[in-house]
Amino acid sequence: MERAPQQSSDSILATFSVDLLIQILDRVADSRDRKSWRQVCRGFLHAEALRRLSLRVLRLEALQGLLRRYAACLERLDLSACPSLDDHALAAALASGAGLWRLRSINLSRASGVGWRGLAALAKACPHLEAVDLSHCVGVGDREAASLAAAAGLRDLWLDKCLGLTDVGLAKVAVGCPALEMLGIKWCLEISDIGIELLAKKCQNLRVLDISYLKITNRSLQFVSSLRKLEDLSMVGCSHINDEGLQFLNNGSNSLQTVDVSRCENVTSSGLISVIEGHKYLQDLNIGDCFPELAPLFLSKLNYLRDSLTVLKLDGFQVFAPSLKIIGLNCRNLVEIGLSKCKWVTDEGVSELVAGCVNLTTIDLTCCHLLTNKALVAIGDKCKNLTCLQLESCKLITDNGLDCIGTCCSNLEEIDLTDCTMTNAAMKYLSRCSELTVLKLGLCDKVSDEGLVHIASNCKKLRVLDLYRCFEVTDDGLAAIATGCKRIKNLNLCYCTRITDLGLKHLSCLEDLHDLELRGVHCVTSLGITAIANGCQHLTELDLKHCHLVDDAGLFALGQYTKNLRQANLSYCQVSSMGLCNLLGSLKCLQDVKLVHLTQVPVEGFESALRASGGRLKKLKLLTGLRHLLSPGLIQMLQARGCRIRWVDKPLNLVP
Amino acid sequence: MVPERRRPPEASSKSSCSMMSESPRNRKPDLPFAPFDSTNLWCGDRHGRSFLEFSPPLVTQSSGLFGPDRETKSKKQHEPSPVDDPVMDWNPRLMLSNLSFLEQKIHQVQDIVRSIISHEDQFLDQANELAAQQQLVTADLTYIIIQLISTAGTLLPDIKNALLSTNPAVGRPGSNQKQHEILPVEVAKASQYDSLIKDLNSCGGKEDELIKCSNNSGVEASEPIPIEDHDTKDNDDGMDGENLPPGSYEVLQLEEEEILAPHTHFCLICGKGFKRDANLRMHMRGHGDEYKSPAALAKPSKEASIEPQPLRRYSCPFVGCKRNKEHKKFQPLKTILCVKNHYKRSHCDKSYTCSRCRTKKFSIIADLKTHEKHCGRDKWICSCGTTFSRKDKLFGHVALFQGHAPAIPMDDAKVLVTSDKAQVSEASSGMPGNMGYNFSGNTSLDAQSPDIKGVDDGHGCFSPMTLDACNIWGLAEFPHSAYEVSESTFSFLATGSCSSIQRNGEN
Repeated sequence: MERAPQQSSDSILATFSVDLLIQILDRVADSRDRKSWRQVCRGFLHAEALRRLSLRVLRLEALQGLLRRYAACLERLDLSACPSLDDHALAAALASGAGLWRLRSINLSRASGVGWRGLAALAKACPHLEAVDLSHCVGVGDREAASLAAAAGLRDLWLDKCLGLTDVGLAKVAVGCPALEMLGIKWCLEISDIGIELLAKKCQNLRVLDISYLKITNRSLQFVSSLRKLEDLSMVGCSHINDEGLQFLNNGSNSLQTVDVSRCENVTSSGLISVIEGHKYLQDLNIGDCFPELAPLFLSKLNYLRDSLTVLKLDGFQVFAPSLKIIGLNCRNLVEIGLSKCKWVTDEGVSELVAGCVNLTTIDLTCCHLLTNKALVAIGDKCKNLTCLQLESCKLITDNGLDCIGTCCSNLEEIDLTDCTMTNAAMKYLSRCSELTVLKLGLCDKVSDEGLVHIASNCKKLRVLDLYRCFEVTDDGLAAIATGCKRIKNLNLCYCTRITDLGLKHLSCLEDLHDLELRGVHCVTSLGITAIANGCQHLTELDLKHCHLVDDAGLFALGQYTKNLRQANLSYCQVSSMGLCNLLGSLKCLQDVKLVHLTQVPVEGFESALRASGGRLKKLKLLTGLRHLLSPGLIQMLQARGCRIRWVDKPLNLVP
Repeated sequence: MVPERRRPPEASSKSSCSMMSESPRNRKPDLPFAPFDSTNLWCGDRHGRSFLEFSPPLVTQSSGLFGPDRETKSKKQHEPSPVDDPVMDWNPRLMLSNLSFLEQKIHQVQDIVRSIISHEDQFLDQANELAAQQQLVTADLTYIIIQLISTAGTLLPDIKNALLSTNPAVGRPGSNQKQHEILPVEVAKASQYDSLIKDLNSCGGKEDELIKCSNNSGVEASEPIPIEDHDTKDNDDGMDGENLPPGSYEVLQLEEEEILAPHTHFCLICGKGFKRDANLRMHMRGHGDEYKSPAALAKPSKEASIEPQPLRRYSCPFVGCKRNKEHKKFQPLKTILCVKNHYKRSHCDKSYTCSRCRTKKFSIIADLKTHEKHCGRDKWICSCGTTFSRKDKLFGHVALFQGHAPAIPMDDAKVLVTSDKAQVSEASSGMPGNMGYNFSGNTSLDAQSPDIKGVDDGHGCFSPMTLDACNIWGLAEFPHSAYEVSESTFSFLATGSCSSIQRNGEN
């Protein structure tokens, strides 16, 4: 059995040279097809290795072997799924793939174990490194930045929430990497005006800059405004910046296209006017949650951006119908508008808006409570290219409104109907949209299996389905979904209490399922979980909170098959020490686990299970009572490995 | 000497006793400060108390009463003790003759006064006669005083010596109360001699004034000072004459020795240095009377504000220095302190080294102290080695120079953290054995761990964490992983079906 395919592959290789195989491979786009390709034979595997440019590693233990195979051609390496990566692992991997000469991009996001030694080794091993993502590595500080600065060719650098980074580290990067084009330093709270000043002086090529939530003042904007190539500036939540700072952007010396000043409390219309005046080609303007009311002058100034502006986000404003009319008149090319949580948005206003902006593809009307079906009719009538429509909490909208949307907007990909009073009829209308990928029906308790059958009949591309608290949904509905929407990735079935193991058995054929939430589905037992574990081996997130019937058998199955499971909520399950130990010990990717009120697990069980996890955990939720019962050494070990433990103090409440 | 000091009180008490008999009669309630009564009044007061009861305020009051004291002194001179004092260089015989002459004179005055008392009732009618008598007494007393003072003048150095020698005795617990009381009297006397003599001399024969003077000084000790004030004004005028013409400044060049002397206040006349300005002012008195006035002795700040000082600038003695007056572009130094600091900083060895950083050297100890305040706080370091006390200064420097970057000092904290981590992992790696699990998955991975170690050795810096790395690979493998061969395990491959795993194993 083993030898036969070997020979046949040899014969294939005899006819197809590696060049030809590569030519063929280039035409295989889908990742699943490529996977099949790899499994054909050694020759195909080799050919694939020669053409492989990007690699996302899901399990750390495989990293060394993979790099040894792919190092020669690899350009992009994603290690963000390996949070337990540390300096040694990284250095060992880099040493094994000694020829990472082509590596241009590496994603180390959330790899909080990586320190300056690892980064120094990386910068040394990969001379052509251009992009590094270190976001959410909370331990990264100046020393790590200094190590990175050795990579002089760096163009993209993301350092979001690197809490240890100060002006000194930023200066290191600014001096070491003068070619920097994209830089994200969001949430790096230690950075001040001085650092930004030096950055602006040293890195004149910056195109994209994210300085959100920094404690910088207007002075920073003075220097930022001198960046001639700057196109994208994000400064969300910079509360020290006001209109005076924005006036520095008035000179138009940079080529800004995207400006995000949302949540900047001290910014008003006049500051935004100076931004608009300075930048004729502004495309994307996000001013959400800045100030309560739109000034007429600001609205009329939007006329300057008549041709360029495509995205406008006005979340949280008081937007009256006349304002929307002016926007509709002035911004003809608008593609996306955000009116989330805007007060006084009426049918009339939306009609005026869409009458002007016929190119709108994304409309966010979350919590615009006054809207009725008329607005949807207007949207359906004008915006034929609509792809995304957010209607959460628009309670006056009924099924008939969606009739128009379903008929007119055939390109609709995403719709959020959470907390709307929808019934199965609406599902019937929506099922006309064959491109639908995201459907959120949370709290639509009138949607039942019939509706799901409609959806499953036509929406083959559905990826995300949210059925939170849709009590009417039963196993039959899931059966329909499982047969119709094979590509579902995220499925939320929380509190759909009529679902049983049978439903889960249907779902087990969804190979792409990554995220499954079964919170409060109390009929589900280990049988169902075993079926899921067996079928959905890509499962990364699983919520089993309040699934009281799930016991060790389910956990054993999960431990055996769902090797990629990263987040698990097992609170209130009837699991024992043995199952828990097995799960935590065998799942190499598990990072985030919630273990509240596991009544069958004694303290020793927790102790041994957590020790078995070997310090891979990054987040842990436990009862406060365990804090003093667990051995201090264990807690110390977990925390030393970067695990954050959340101690909760909740009474045992068996009814969800 | 000391025994002699003790005598005066006894003598004075004797004298007061001798006069006591007259005093009750002499005293007139309406004329308490009448010239003739002053001595008697004092004696009467004094008689009323014992010496021991004297309180300090009274001592100061008594200090001015040198009239009776002079008497005591004249009396004490009858006793033979002074001869044996080696310090005194006066002629005792001459003194004795003087004193005996004075005694005669005093007796004469006593007689006159007695006669006045006895004819008191008559004098009430004949006021002219009384006035004549009084004048006679005044003239006699004036003469006595002058004689007494001139005699006592020869004793002056002796008094100073006596003060020095007896001063320590004052603080002694067992010291005599009398002595304690007497000494201030003599101190005051000594300080007042100069002025008194001057006054008397200047006043010449004007008897009224003289009486007034002696009277004043006899009653109130503070009186002589206004008289001195009169003198100071004259002195000030005299000093003005020394001032330089305004407009041009005077260049003064101190010698190296002076500059390096451990002082900061220099005498402008002789160049002597002092640590304190007050000491300098005391020293200045020696350069002439004009420096003795209280104004000259007072702090100079007031004076400076009133009178414009002449421009005086200083030159550095180092030839060739820009601060030297020979230099083409001579830039004078403003003060002597500037000269000192300039010379030390520019032309002397830097002998003070900072004990903390051991690199910075200074020639002035104050500079070192200033540096020490900030030493170690210069945490802002550039890659070129320059240190800054402020971050913005460093960043300005970095912005200015190509290739410079802020330096991050190697902090030991991180090393500690990693070692802690290693220890923790050590503890955790010991755990599986305790738990009794069988981690069979280690077998396939063991082959790789030497590789890791090899890498670690190559990189050097990773070696302390080798344990940690092993842990990641070897810990907590459950039986399931036994049939996983890491070499060919693709994380993105489906791991579920047995057939694919077998194929992987074959690869």
